[in-house]
Amino acid sequence: MVSDQDYQLFVYALKNSSKYDFSQYSEKSLKRRILKVLTDHSLNITALISKIKTDPEFVEKMVKEITVNTTELFRDPQVWQAIRFNILPRFKNNSVINIWHAGCSTGQEVYSMLILLNELGMLEKARVYATDINTDVMDAARQGEYKYRFNLAYLDNFDKVIKENPYNYEEYNDVPYEKYLQLDKANDTIKLLPFLREKPVFKKHDLVVDNNTLYVKFDLILCRNVIIYFNYNLQCRVFDLFHQSLYDTGCLVLGMHETILGAHASKFQKKGHAYFKN
Amino acid sequence: MNYKAVILGGSAGSFQIVTRILNSLPKNFPLPVLLCLHRLKHVRSGFVEALSLKSNIPVEEPYDKDSLRPGKAYLAPANYHMYVELSNRIALSTEDTVNHSRPSIDLSFITAANAYREKLIGIILSGANKDGALGLKRVHDNGGIAIVQDPNECEVKTMTQSALQLTKVDFVYSTDQIISYLQKLR
Repeated sequence: MVSDQDYQLFVYALKNSSKYDFSQYSEKSLKRRILKVLTDHSLNITALISKIKTDPEFVEKMVKEITVNTTELFRDPQVWQAIRFNILPRFKNNSVINIWHAGCSTGQEVYSMLILLNELGMLEKARVYATDINTDVMDAARQGEYKYRFNLAYLDNFDKVIKENPYNYEEYNDVPYEKYLQLDKANDTIKLLPFLREKPVFKKHDLVVDNNTLYVKFDLILCRNVIIYFNYNLQCRVFDLFHQSLYDTGCLVLGMHETILGAHASKFQKKGHAYFKN
Repeated sequence: MNYKAVILGGSAGSFQIVTRILNSLPKNFPLPVLLCLHRLKHVRSGFVEALSLKSNIPVEEPYDKDSLRPGKAYLAPANYHMYVELSNRIALSTEDTVNHSRPSIDLSFITAANAYREKLIGIILSGANKDGALGLKRVHDNGGIAIVQDPNECEVKTMTQSALQLTKVDFVYSTDQIISYLQKLR
């Protein structure tokens, strides 16, 4: 276990010797991730801190190891059903629809969105931006290739969101996986087709310090299971950023167990799975 | 009142026990109750409703950074780890599984033990793996009360026996004894 004192030393060393400020990360998660770095590199805290102060390349690598990158295609299918049937149709008559995936990790939710947009005939007019603090996971996102065997749940989720209609059980759209995915069981891969991979704009963005560096406003922002790694104060900053970055008719979709607390709670109204600007 | 929270961990065979405990707590139970229970991967919804049905105190799957309040039960949501922060708030995480489990009982217990130290009561119930053993040890090491359900009473003994192997616990109790212990907390 990382002691409170070691934790403070770590955070201040990082803050003073790099552009990364983890002082407002959620303490329990961050302590666990520090412990993982110490174990993976066989370092003690003193050695880690001296490396942080002297080795900028190590810092870049370590920051990537510290961020949590778990994600799935159509994670929480009921949320994606809501995006399909209740949220995206609101923007059907827009000439352009701007979408931001903040903290996109390895890109599974970006591709989930692109598949939905295509099913709804909205892909052409969508501008999809995807950002993360970790450029390695965004490289993986650009590749759009995932392990097949470990991710069979992706295909179940695909069925629930794309083929089935929760509001009409008799409806069944037999959309073949091959319309979007190249399944290669021999090589154990699922790869998104090129027309999807070419679509999103990936850009490095740090929710802790950066403002809206995409310089557009958004109809829809997805930021799922990212702010759980931030403390209360930092969450408020991020909600402020999102509030400023949304059009008045825009909405924000968070993780299943994330919610808007504090001063910003009154600036949004929750309808189903989305927060709309008040 | 010497305590700040109760935390229960369980897996296979623990659902009925937790239901009985929640059904026996007074409506004005003076502490928050944290529940870290394994569930089948595909059972993502319905669990909290099933537990609420017979519970005397409200049971909820908390949102991230929710404050912990006395007289409420907080069930670790499916597919998230549930931590207790020093600020008495819940923190959720989608980090990888630990011992094939998410939520991990060890992680919930360890973080609660750090937050509440000697003011925590940790209880391990029936279950089919060793998750929770390390966590209960931390509760005990930090001066809290460590309780294990009597393995002879458990539908599956692995979890309680692993906890007993690792820690010299304060009490080995039957479900009835766990209930009367909790009822006496005022």
